[in-house]
Amino acid sequence: MKGDIVGFCCNYTANVPAEVLKEAGLVPETLRIRRLPCTGKLEVAAIMDALADGAEGVFVAGCRVDECHNLTGSQRASKRVAYAKEMLKELDLDPGRVEMIFVPRGEAGPIIQAAREMKTRIAGMDDAMTRALESEGAEQSK
Amino acid sequence: MIIAERKPLNEILGMLSGVRKLLVLGCRGCVAVCSAGGDKEVGLMAAAIRLGRKLSGEPIEIHEDTLVRQCDPEYLEPLAEKGGDYDAVLSLACGVGINFIADRCPGVRVLPGVNTSFYGANLSSGEWKEMCAGCGACVLHLTGGLCPVARCAKSLSNGPCGGSQGGRCEIDPSVPCIWQQIHDRLKALNQEERLREIMPVRDWTTAGHGGPRRRLREDLLP
Amino acid sequence: MISGSNLERVLSSGQFAVTGELGPPKNSNYEVIREKARILKGHVDAVNITDCQTAIVRMSSLTAALIALSEGVEPVMQMTCRDRNRIGMQADILGASALGIRNLLCLTGDHQKFGNHPQSKGVFDMDSIQLLGMVRAMRDEHRFQCGEEIKGPEPKLFLGAAANPFADPFEYRPLRLAKKVDAGAGFVQTQIIYNVEKFRKFMEMVRDLGLDEKVYILAGVTPPKSLGMARYMKNFVPGLDVTDDVIQRLSDAKDPREEGINICVDIINQVKEIPGVAGVHVMAIEWEQAVPEIVSRAGLSKRPEPAGIQPALVSSDAIDEAVAQAREQAEATLREKIEKVKAEAQASRDLVVKEKERVAGEIYALKTKVEELTGMVKNKDAQVKELTAELKEAKTAAVTVQQAAPAAPASGQAAAPVAAQLGAREQAALRSLGLGLDALRKALGLDEAQYEALKRFLEAEFLLHFNISPAPVQPAGEPVPGPVPTTVEPAVQAQPQPEALQAPEEAADEEAERRHKQVVRLVAKGNLLLHKQDYSAAIEAFEQALEIDSEDPKAKDGLQKAKAAAGAQAPEAPAGPAEEGGELLPPCPDELTPDEWKFKWVVRWTGRGNVALYRGEQQAAIDAFKKALSLDPENEKARDGLKKAEAGELGPGPEETKTAAETPEPEQAPVEAAETPESAQAPVEAAPAEPAPPKVEKPVPEPAAPAPPKVEKKAPVAAAAGAPAAEAMAGEKLSLSERASGIPEDLFVEKCTGRIQEVVLGEGDNALRIGGAQALPFHVFEGDVPNPPQVAYEILDFEPEEWPEPLAQYYKGEMSDPVAWARKCVDEYKAKAICLSLLSTDPNGMNRSSAEAAQVAQKVVEAVDVPVIIWGCNNAEKDTETLREVTNLVGTKKVCLSPLTDANYRALGATAMAFQLPVVAATPIDVNLAKQLNILLENLGMQLNQVLMDPSIGAVGYGLEYSYSVMERITLAALTQQDDKLSVPFICNLGREVWKAKECRLPSDDLLGDQERRGVLLEAITASSLLLAGGGLMVMRHPRAIALTEALIQGMM
Repeated sequence: MKGDIVGFCCNYTANVPAEVLKEAGLVPETLRIRRLPCTGKLEVAAIMDALADGAEGVFVAGCRVDECHNLTGSQRASKRVAYAKEMLKELDLDPGRVEMIFVPRGEAGPIIQAAREMKTRIAGMDDAMTRALESEGAEQSK
Repeated sequence: MIIAERKPLNEILGMLSGVRKLLVLGCRGCVAVCSAGGDKEVGLMAAAIRLGRKLSGEPIEIHEDTLVRQCDPEYLEPLAEKGGDYDAVLSLACGVGINFIADRCPGVRVLPGVNTSFYGANLSSGEWKEMCAGCGACVLHLTGGLCPVARCAKSLSNGPCGGSQGGRCEIDPSVPCIWQQIHDRLKALNQEERLREIMPVRDWTTAGHGGPRRRLREDLLP
Repeated sequence: MISGSNLERVLSSGQFAVTGELGPPKNSNYEVIREKARILKGHVDAVNITDCQTAIVRMSSLTAALIALSEGVEPVMQMTCRDRNRIGMQADILGASALGIRNLLCLTGDHQKFGNHPQSKGVFDMDSIQLLGMVRAMRDEHRFQCGEEIKGPEPKLFLGAAANPFADPFEYRPLRLAKKVDAGAGFVQTQIIYNVEKFRKFMEMVRDLGLDEKVYILAGVTPPKSLGMARYMKNFVPGLDVTDDVIQRLSDAKDPREEGINICVDIINQVKEIPGVAGVHVMAIEWEQAVPEIVSRAGLSKRPEPAGIQPALVSSDAIDEAVAQAREQAEATLREKIEKVKAEAQASRDLVVKEKERVAGEIYALKTKVEELTGMVKNKDAQVKELTAELKEAKTAAVTVQQAAPAAPASGQAAAPVAAQLGAREQAALRSLGLGLDALRKALGLDEAQYEALKRFLEAEFLLHFNISPAPVQPAGEPVPGPVPTTVEPAVQAQPQPEALQAPEEAADEEAERRHKQVVRLVAKGNLLLHKQDYSAAIEAFEQALEIDSEDPKAKDGLQKAKAAAGAQAPEAPAGPAEEGGELLPPCPDELTPDEWKFKWVVRWTGRGNVALYRGEQQAAIDAFKKALSLDPENEKARDGLKKAEAGELGPGPEETKTAAETPEPEQAPVEAAETPESAQAPVEAAPAEPAPPKVEKPVPEPAAPAPPKVEKKAPVAAAAGAPAAEAMAGEKLSLSERASGIPEDLFVEKCTGRIQEVVLGEGDNALRIGGAQALPFHVFEGDVPNPPQVAYEILDFEPEEWPEPLAQYYKGEMSDPVAWARKCVDEYKAKAICLSLLSTDPNGMNRSSAEAAQVAQKVVEAVDVPVIIWGCNNAEKDTETLREVTNLVGTKKVCLSPLTDANYRALGATAMAFQLPVVAATPIDVNLAKQLNILLENLGMQLNQVLMDPSIGAVGYGLEYSYSVMERITLAALTQQDDKLSVPFICNLGREVWKAKECRLPSDDLLGDQERRGVLLEAITASSLLLAGGGLMVMRHPRAIALTEALIQGMM
């Protein structure tokens, strides 16, 4: 789906199901939330897979640095996001397609905001992915 | 162990041009320990290549596998049989593994996914440091167990050069002067007289300057 | 002598050697090297030619060394191990020696990272010491490094090495030098020296090793060209020690270049005196011009006559010689050619003569023919005459003479052009000839053309005959025999003559050249002396020059100047000091005009005046301004200043004078200003300590007013929380004895044989008795348990920020004041003991002084009646200081000192004994360490009934089980094994451990529940566990947790 966004959220940060948010019209329809026990569990490969499987943007929502339930889980996640950004650059992709956000526990607000921001940000990008999607679209219209 | 480092993705995608069916092959030896070519890195590499190829509009079929070692013939046998099914095999093993596949598996087009960096130790998670140069003529008994060949920027044999300052090497303050450390260590071990002896000119033939190296042990040969 | 090099000769003769340095260019321009060599020539004994220093590509040192050698400068070729392996190096060494290079400096080389090709592969086949060994073996043993013999001439080289006295490890540097000497170094050049003291120490160590006897050591020096360069060397060049003094001198200097030379000369003069220093190595990096000056100022300009400098390739002298030779040769060939040409000329002359003869012969033949013809003509003439006579005779009859007359002019007309040039006689002859011819024509029947030809010929012959009487045929300019030899020969000879003269002329030229050089040298010397203001010497030099060449304009000019200057100096000399009086205007430097200089000093004096004015030094200010005005009476600033100074308007700068004047004592104004920050700081610091001052009221009332109701609300809650718990405990209807009734006692009772010491904290009614049990914790049925465990409230001596809200809220209004806090604990929460933690004294934290902390402790102790445990910051040293201070201030015995560790038990144990205070012996979770500390205290003389043990506590989930098992083992040892060294009650400082746990900090949520409940339970459960392990005194924080714990104790006893 055009404008797919995947959000990796830890158990503590995302307590409102994505469906509820979507029903309420709070987040883009294209958002998929993947819950993890802790963002510290997130592997870089999962981020790349999400992009390879059609996501145009990925955000990772971890606990605020000082209140991670597992103390350093969200910091770990943030380092992996940084590594993923490096890989994106090597692929001529905008590193902004992957972002780490730190949110207070149990608040849906920041996640909603992150999803919306990601969507607008993606729309303004010009990289290998936008070009690939354009040519794809062109082929389909033929 | 052997330390390796992932090659940049654009370089890898360059070598994969035209490849439609790929095997990403990891190794559970050194490269797995230094997080460059184990199962996890195979998964990441496959995902990244899939993404890269998707972007260029040339989808690719990728299989993933990780061998116990790529430098022992018995583990390569299945690859020798089935490797030809793939357009290419991207090995995340060190250069040894890639060479060995090329030697043993005719018909398999093997490509390197990592740069083989050095022989090093794992200082902490995510940090490795060169400790040995594999020069084939060990002098560690003379230098308190610290290697000037691998760890001195000029591979000096006879003490610190004039650029040793405050225990740091002149080429980079983040690099310790190994000769300062050798000096301190020999002193602590009461072997200071070693520092007065002139170490003779080295024989570099064993370091590969005498041609490719090989070792034979008759008692172990089949 | 090993190599026969000039440097070796100088050094081995015991003379103080000087070497220089020459960096080859980064291009193929050999002129650069020649120029630099010429600058250095005669001022140094040898010159180092660097080998791509700092790993930047330059012309090779071998090539540049050869070029320098061709200039008559002895090179010290540098060779690094960075760029060549042993094959390349040995090859170059053979070549260098073959081409006359006699000195080799063996280096490892700068790492390629520093150069312009950091990506290159560094070779480093060997290091400098191994290189020395290799070259020595080539020289002395005639062997290549591989062992193969060198057949034929071996390389003869004087070997040098480098030494850096300023690199680390310093103590190893002389030993490394010893290795270089052992490997074959004959001389050593050191790294650039600025830190002479360190070098002196290095040389001392070198002498101790006897190295100064084995090797010539040349101290390396470099004139810093600028402050920037010195700073760069100080901060960025590893292994270079530029002292602050050098930096200071350069930054103070008016002319940094001049000062740089001075610094260099100073260092040379200092190192010259250090025993073992055999010379200096002057490295003027891209500043070769400075070398002669440095060498001369250091008194080293008399260099020994160089010897042994023999370029194998061309030198400029050799070029001159070759040119002279070539010229000689050319002259010789020229001379040969001239000879040849001369010979050829002679030959051609001979040929001409022969030709002449031949031509003359031909002409003669022609002449005879003409004569024949003439004879014939004469015959014909005669015939014609005869015929004419006949004709006349015939005419006499018929024709008159008149008729014949017009015919004559007609025939004469044909000869007219010729005839015009002739005399009358000749004309007459011609006329008759013409007549004769006519007749002849008729007679012979010649046609017109024949006739004409004959006639012309005859006319020509005739003319010839007439004009040149001496020579029969002579047209002018033609090579005719007579005059030819005389004209040709001198012409040919004239050419070689100037050529031959040239040789002596050249000799004269050379002489003139020599004289001219002498004159130039003298003039230069004169100019230099003139510059140095040594006028009489300058005059002498110029006069000498004029003696040699009285016409030299420069010398004349110079002489004039020198004389003028000398003349000027004489009158100026007395004037100078007068004007300089009080350094009013030091001599003007060359680069400034006197006006500029004067202006500078006016500004400077005015500045000084203003400074003095600011400082309140009236007299100094007036002096300074006056000096300024004496230089420039019109200067307004100086005038203003003087006015102010005289009016006594002192104090901070002119602009602030007004405000300063308002204060009664302006001179003290700055002092007061300096004090204000302190006085401003004082209340700030005092504020937290003394909440009494009215100023601080504002922040206080806010928490103070609402706090009591809030706490009042909470306090009952705390009590209530305790009450139901107590009720729950009390809910157990049957007592143990009742439940156990009917069971023989010996079935379940295990009497202990030991007894825990009873420790008394405090005095009188509020005294707390800890320990004294003869049974395991709460085993009241097994033995005497006289005292229930107790709980002390922990308070801090500063307001903690990291206490979680559920805990902090109970002390909201009091936390900033330890006294109020303690009172609240006692008054409201009925604390039976207080534990005052003096955490603010931690040297790694707030580091409050011991005295201050002790005062706080004193106030707290005085404010409450219950025992107070004074707990330090767990820094042995600081705690000793603090707790001693406390004992000095606190008179009562209700204080307990803690913690005593193995690091400070002696000092604090003694203090405690002196004041008879109980103490806490703290050890890190270990039975043996706990026992050992008790033994040590006993050995000190302390009774164990004055000791509480702190076994180190972990909260639930944070190592409680470890604490528990250690305490259990100690309790069992004390009670069942009569280990009296361990029969000491425990104090468990658990509050601090519990409340720093993550679980107490995470906010309320569904998963973990209410935060306060969580914390309270964690503290209470930790306490109850420790009670079961034998804890005698709990130190806790949360009132509700304490209430729960006390309820538990009450129920269990």
